[in-house]
Amino acid sequence: MNTDRPHALLLKFPGTNCDVESARALAAVGFDTTTLPISQADSGSLRDADFVMLSGGFSYGDYVMAGRIAQLRIEARLGDALRSFADGGGHILGVCNGFQILLKLGLLPTGSLIDNTSGRFMCRWAGLNVTDRRSPFLKHLPDHFELPVAHAEGRFVAADGLAAEYVAQGLAPLIYENDINGSSERIAAVQSENGRVFGLMPHPERFMERRHHYDADWADSPRGWGFLFFQGLAEELGVAPSPAMV
Amino acid sequence: MHTTEANYQNIPVRDLDGDALLALSKEMKLSLSREDMLAVRTYFREAGREPTDVELEVIAQTWSEHCKHRIFGAKIEHTTNEGSETVDGLFKTYIKKPSEEVFERKPGFVLSAFHDNAGFIRLDDDKAVCLKVETHNHPSAIEPYAGANTGLGGVIRDILGAGKGAKPVASLDVFCFGAPDTPPQGIKARDVIHPLGVMRGVVRGVRDYGNRMGIPTVAGAIQFDETYIYNPLVFCGTAGVIPIRDIDKTMRPGLAVVSVGGRTGRDGLKGATFSSAELTGDSHAEDQSAVQIGNPIEEKKVADFILAAREEGLIEFVTDCGAGGYSSAAGEMLSETGGEVFLERVPLKEPGLSSWQVFLSESQERMVLAADTANLPRLRELAAVFETEMVELGHSDDSGLLKVWHHGELVCELDCGKLHNAPRREMISKWMRPESCRIPALEGDCGGMLRELLGDFAICSRAQIIREYDHEVQGNTILKPLAGARGDAPQDGSVIEVDGSASAMALGLSILPEWGKTDPYRMGLAVVDECVRQLVIVGADPKRIGLLDNFCVGNPEDPKELGALVETTKGIAKAAEAFGAPFISGKDSFYNYFVTDEGPVSIPTTILLSGVGIVGEIGHVTGSSLRSSSSVLFLLGQEMAPLGGSVIARCKRLTGAEVPDTDCAANFTLYEAFAAARTAGLVLSAHDVSEGGLGVALAEAGFSLSAGIEVELPVEHEAAPFLYHEGTGRIVVEVAADKAEEFAATFAGLPLRRLGQTTADHTRLVVHHRGEAVVEEDLAALKSLWKEPLGRWY
Repeated sequence: MNTDRPHALLLKFPGTNCDVESARALAAVGFDTTTLPISQADSGSLRDADFVMLSGGFSYGDYVMAGRIAQLRIEARLGDALRSFADGGGHILGVCNGFQILLKLGLLPTGSLIDNTSGRFMCRWAGLNVTDRRSPFLKHLPDHFELPVAHAEGRFVAADGLAAEYVAQGLAPLIYENDINGSSERIAAVQSENGRVFGLMPHPERFMERRHHYDADWADSPRGWGFLFFQGLAEELGVAPSPAMV
Repeated sequence: MHTTEANYQNIPVRDLDGDALLALSKEMKLSLSREDMLAVRTYFREAGREPTDVELEVIAQTWSEHCKHRIFGAKIEHTTNEGSETVDGLFKTYIKKPSEEVFERKPGFVLSAFHDNAGFIRLDDDKAVCLKVETHNHPSAIEPYAGANTGLGGVIRDILGAGKGAKPVASLDVFCFGAPDTPPQGIKARDVIHPLGVMRGVVRGVRDYGNRMGIPTVAGAIQFDETYIYNPLVFCGTAGVIPIRDIDKTMRPGLAVVSVGGRTGRDGLKGATFSSAELTGDSHAEDQSAVQIGNPIEEKKVADFILAAREEGLIEFVTDCGAGGYSSAAGEMLSETGGEVFLERVPLKEPGLSSWQVFLSESQERMVLAADTANLPRLRELAAVFETEMVELGHSDDSGLLKVWHHGELVCELDCGKLHNAPRREMISKWMRPESCRIPALEGDCGGMLRELLGDFAICSRAQIIREYDHEVQGNTILKPLAGARGDAPQDGSVIEVDGSASAMALGLSILPEWGKTDPYRMGLAVVDECVRQLVIVGADPKRIGLLDNFCVGNPEDPKELGALVETTKGIAKAAEAFGAPFISGKDSFYNYFVTDEGPVSIPTTILLSGVGIVGEIGHVTGSSLRSSSSVLFLLGQEMAPLGGSVIARCKRLTGAEVPDTDCAANFTLYEAFAAARTAGLVLSAHDVSEGGLGVALAEAGFSLSAGIEVELPVEHEAAPFLYHEGTGRIVVEVAADKAEEFAATFAGLPLRRLGQTTADHTRLVVHHRGEAVVEEDLAALKSLWKEPLGRWY
């Protein structure tokens, strides 16, 4: 482990499939990253971590509710360690399947991610509006930006009225520009009160560089919006701003 | 769960005559011919004993068309209008020989071809890429979801079993179906699944396997034709990346033979022999056990395990369990050394499997590898890390014999050398080129034709399907299947970035079955041309392209159908040689016909030509969508060609017209000039002219809605045929106005026409001809027409 850099831990389950590009994204903004298969994890695994990420994929196939088996495996292997990490002010990110798992673990405001209204998997790009800025992930991002999405179960729902409350309280920091999957209040991301536990359906790790955009002439930023997303956290954890960002 | 006892029997063959042997083959569903059975009898007469059922099943599987490609090895008496000739093996003559000549012309480019699970070409100094395409037609016909699901799962394992384990990085899928609006009462056989059901099942099968594996499905095509109602075609392909040092693998005596992944059950029995026979209504009831059940998460765990083990240098040899199961995997692995396998060690899904079922089962998600026994402890640790099951099946030795033990009994002992010597087939083929008929002139409302074409199933958008595939997982899809300023316009191919390399990989493909109905030779030329053209357009170096041929044929015993195959093969051979693009892998599928109550219905001879090209620098990647409203539009290539094979000819029922010829050498010169102009920074976008001709190509380029289009057609040609013929070798190129002269200059002496320009009127497509606007359409409206048709059905 390179101790100069903040240490990121990527938890991997059978069926996790965005771990390689997520690790690449974290390395690009200055993290020292370890990918840890859940079979090797235990209550001491988070000891040296500054940041824990759950990336996208289909943990255990997601044949029952997406993320449910992974939640049970985390609880069995790590016990309370992830909750203690969050309670101690640790940063946790869940992307797509990782978001689904964080919700099941109860580390985010209560809610569920269920089948898209289309009933189909959907791979496309989506416009996002920022509604709250307490999270370091959003520090460098403009009020409106785009990210790729790819999911079948991305419709955020919560008990009556809760979704609107989340938006009002700033707990739903990203809202889809258009309704793409039926999410209540068009919610794309939710975060904890302190903004340190963050879950979103879109994939920032897939848009690190300009060339990742579908439009050859896209030039709204020198790097992809995903780079800026991870860059915000890296700076929060002590990585000096990269010259490209200034 | 394991077997508790050996369960096999001896089958007397030594005293049977030809008729009785053939009857035995039918009774056991071995799909072996009379000649094959006579060879079997000879083998066991020499061995001085009767075979076991395990041995007969192993031989049937090893000699099946699916595994041995005996028709591509057969001696064929081929007759055409010009006379007769003897083809001494299609594969040897038209695939291997011209390819090997290219290997020699380009030393160090093709790093492996024809002998491994996939062929490799060099990406850069230390990495290579590979591509493999398989068909899963019969399983998809009787169980579309599971058939396509395991079709993709199987070809992914081919990549994991290529070299010492390549990393799968992208997939492609190509389907041939009946039209989704086929009237149900028009289907003339019972138990045939309606094309819409087949399409829905197949797409979801590919989606659920590819998405769960985390391999982006980035390229594809769908052909609709009534001939595919009874026998749909499902091609699944996967590309991989490997360090060059891990390509070569060799077996030696004393290695442990290890199985990793899923357990073994009755699913997928006799798939190899099942796929080597025709379909009938009874297939739907009787052959269900030949179709396997897919479990992508099991395969994902195996993939993680294989890649980690390869990176740690723990693998000496690896191959997939495909058709034939352990029999074919262990058979392949032990064919040079010999070795022993112990069936009682195989973990099972269900009890009561007989010996041959354990050895032949095609249960999914299993890989077989050979490792130094000293590395077994670490391999066991990795299996625990990735939560997959690993079992030591046996070991290699130096006996030259494949010995299979089951609870202490020797249930199979075959001489590996003799096992692979199937009797050679001798066949007859005949292709008489039909007199091309004169068809009435194509004339009328050019705008109306354009609207009709864009809404036709052959051309309309596949977005509804593309968006169900995760085509961006792994984060390396640089040129996406849908792109342009709005992210929803069609592209000519896909480009995948490769981790740790400045170079990238382009994928392209072509399939033109309509052409082959009239002229299979020209179809062969055209598919190679189109595939190479796509690869070059999206960014590949024209000199660094590898090709794959995947044939699907009806009844090879029908001389006309076999004749069409011979002609197609000659066509692709000629084109591949002219383009200097070798074949690195391929596959063939026969017996794609269905016996209805009214007689057999065959598919037209179909070839999927796919290719992988090396993109030297990411900066070479070029999209097909217009980018600027002040550009010049050029048309590269020969301007006129006959209408045969075109979508407009089919729409207007102009049948029997001559299909276009292709001058591959001239086209290659053109593509090299194009690549040079692109490298010099002179190209903004480029789109190939293919289905729907120039008219559709212009409209599709305009679907970015970044610019209007205004072009002028040459006075010497009639407008409609000029706009809608599908002659090969043509590219529409967008060039910045201030670079137009420099661009044109690089094509001196080559066919190039300045067609017109893009305009600031972003929704207008205007085509002038002889002083008249023959097309004046709203691009946004055309785009809606193009986007909708499949959505109504899918």
